Amino acid sequence: MATAPAEKQQRFPRFRKMAQLEHIILLVSFTTLAITGLPQKWPQAPFSLWMINLLGGIETVRIIHRWAAIILILGSFYHLFASGYRLFVKRERMRVLPVWKDALDLRDYVLYNLGFKSEHPKMPKFNFGEKFEYWAVVWGTAVMIITGFMLWNPIAVTNFLPGQFIPAAKAAHGGEAILAVTSILIWHIYNVVIKQFNPSMWTGWLPRRQMEEEHALELERLEAGGDPWPGAALEAPAHRKRNYFIVSAILGIFILAVIYYLFTFEETAITTLPAITPEVITPLVTPAP
Amino acid sequence: MFRNFIRKLPTLLLLFGIGSISIFLFHMLPPITAEASVNEEPVSISLEGLNIIQTLVQSDQHPDSDLACRACHSDTDATVEFPSGETFSAQVDMGILAASAHGTSSSDPLRCTSCHAASSYQFPHDDLEAADLRQYQIAKSASCEQCHGQPHITGHPGPESENPVVCTDCHGGHDVLTVEQLQAGEGTDACVDCHTQSGVELVDPAALTGLINAGLFSQQEINNDYCLACHSQPDIEMEFPNGDTKSVTVDAMALHDSVHGAGNSWDELVCNDCHVDYRYPHEPLAVESAREFSIEKNQVCERCHEQKFDATLDSVHGEALMEGNLDAATCTDCHGAHDTPVPNEPRERISHTCAQCHGDIFDEYIESVHGEALTTGDPDVPTCIDCHGVHNIGDPTTILFRVRSPELCAGCHADEEMMSRHDISTDVFDTYVSDFHGTTTMLFDPEHPNADPTKAVCYDCHGVHNIKRPDDPEAGIKQNLLETCQKCHPDASANFPDSWTSHFPPSLEHNTLVYLVNLFYRIIIPFTLGFLIFLVATDVYQRIRSLIKSSRS
Repeated sequence: MATAPAEKQQRFPRFRKMAQLEHIILLVSFTTLAITGLPQKWPQAPFSLWMINLLGGIETVRIIHRWAAIILILGSFYHLFASGYRLFVKRERMRVLPVWKDALDLRDYVLYNLGFKSEHPKMPKFNFGEKFEYWAVVWGTAVMIITGFMLWNPIAVTNFLPGQFIPAAKAAHGGEAILAVTSILIWHIYNVVIKQFNPSMWTGWLPRRQMEEEHALELERLEAGGDPWPGAALEAPAHRKRNYFIVSAILGIFILAVIYYLFTFEETAITTLPAITPEVITPLVTPAP
Repeated sequence: MFRNFIRKLPTLLLLFGIGSISIFLFHMLPPITAEASVNEEPVSISLEGLNIIQTLVQSDQHPDSDLACRACHSDTDATVEFPSGETFSAQVDMGILAASAHGTSSSDPLRCTSCHAASSYQFPHDDLEAADLRQYQIAKSASCEQCHGQPHITGHPGPESENPVVCTDCHGGHDVLTVEQLQAGEGTDACVDCHTQSGVELVDPAALTGLINAGLFSQQEINNDYCLACHSQPDIEMEFPNGDTKSVTVDAMALHDSVHGAGNSWDELVCNDCHVDYRYPHEPLAVESAREFSIEKNQVCERCHEQKFDATLDSVHGEALMEGNLDAATCTDCHGAHDTPVPNEPRERISHTCAQCHGDIFDEYIESVHGEALTTGDPDVPTCIDCHGVHNIGDPTTILFRVRSPELCAGCHADEEMMSRHDISTDVFDTYVSDFHGTTTMLFDPEHPNADPTKAVCYDCHGVHNIKRPDDPEAGIKQNLLETCQKCHPDASANFPDSWTSHFPPSLEHNTLVYLVNLFYRIIIPFTLGFLIFLVATDVYQRIRSLIKSSRS
């Protein structure tokens, strides 16, 4: 991937193909979840009813929501396993971990924007904003999966937890949804679409101008001949690989089983209420006064 | 001058002679003979007749002009013969005439010529115009109208009928009865005879006198009194072709006291307002049964109550009726017919009205928290119609009714003012909607084919008609919450009911965990968004500045 620094390279590698695929999975499932979920947060809004009916009624919407959740969960676990492989088997450096410099970058970024500093901070491959987004997605997805599971299987959950966890989970699920959707709309959409379109998630490459602005440190490293994915080319010891596959296979089967049970865990409610049909016509023997 | 007189004298003498001879000849004629126009047999005044004349002449009570008539008609064997061959005695019983309503005993006795106009009855009498006795009677009755200008209306067939009943048929001719006599029961024989002959039901003299005394014949127009003359009589019934009978006795006081009576805001209704164009004798029935009659008669309510009538047509009752269920309630089943009371006074009346047909449901309701309060006169609690509607009563088993029912309950239970009177929380609707069941119900579109109406609404947990206080020691929902949940969630365990927020808005006291989660997001969301917006704003600011800078240079 690396090219000779002398040629004044115009674009630089940023995302692997699998990272792009993960993004698409996340984008599709997240959007679907937001569209099918948010109307349920405001059930009395006319827009909500319109949207729900457009999508095929509340019961259909809930089925779509759950399938989208399954896709999100599968995508999330793929990410965990893949990251685990890179971290524990290949022993790549985890460049998305926040460090003290990110705080300084944030400070300098604000000061630069306000005109108190003449230099834009030089930022690494993942700048403070991207790290914030990444960990927000990790946190948010975890919250949504856990609370979503509770809402999906309230009877199973209340076998172990107090009943009030269910409405609390509902509150958290809704609150987190609003936080996630609004954050994405304000921060992510501004930074990757409005400010200047960022093609790297679709092409894998980022133009030099955006590298200079947002990832000057990474640009310097790459131009100095650095590997875009340091350590990725390392050959991991066979036993480490084997152990990881065994562990991940067991975990994977367990997770798949849990996901399967999500659909069949419990019959929360009977599907048809017993009809209440009392004898309607029962005339009095003597007419009322 | 004198020469002229001499010249005309013979003519004058001639005229005088003729006149004298005429007078002489007239006096030489035989005694006066009365002749019936058709009867050729001469009638002579008998000695007795002359005596009567003499008596009458002496009487200063009687008009002199009757003398000539009485001379013959007081005592005669003569008969009148009609072209039809019928004969009729020409004798008038002067005693009966004197005693009659028009006789000498009355305050204003009539002369013969009062009725038998002198111009038509000059002796010798002209030929009769009437073809028979009946025609004569009918024609003669017209003379009553000379004095009785506005003859009362009766149910009897009038002159336009082929077989009319005329004044004299009931009142008599020369023996005409006084009002008092008729009211005392005299003259009803004539009624009975005629009714028997013509097959009219009323042949009981006592009943007939009752009708007369009730004012049947004292009316100048068709009004309530006219109708009530018959219809106020007890135990009168109408029979239908299928054998049904229906009482047609009307309680006049009940009618007067009803909403259509004295207190009617428009005007007191009269029988004919509803029984449009009813006349006596009544038209034959066009329906088979008493029920069909009631249903048909209910159409008349539309004349004034069009909106309510139309609403009823679309109701469950109207639809059932359209489908041929004749037992379906119509206007009068709930409101009554003649004794229509104010339908909601007292309020209890409303539910008692429904109870007439829906007895079991009423029994449940009256034991409920709402029903019990109704009996104590609570003006806030719902009666049947507050939930089911009044005239536009819809089918309460539809999906639409089900999913809209929480809003129905909220109509009262979210009303701050009303609930404060009963110390009941108004949060019930909002807390319901913010919970899973309510959220789903609100989002439910009954028009949608995939709609699943099974999420619990208010009445699934609280009961329908038998709603009790939530803390009722026996039937209260709090005592039996798990069982209530298990109706729909059969696998629910002991913790499960707590997953319902029990209509408490989350607070530190109730649903604490939910409150804390909400608090967390209420802080974290504005903080995060505020921070992100701030960063975006600085970035935009920086970009605008550099844009201006680059355009300058």
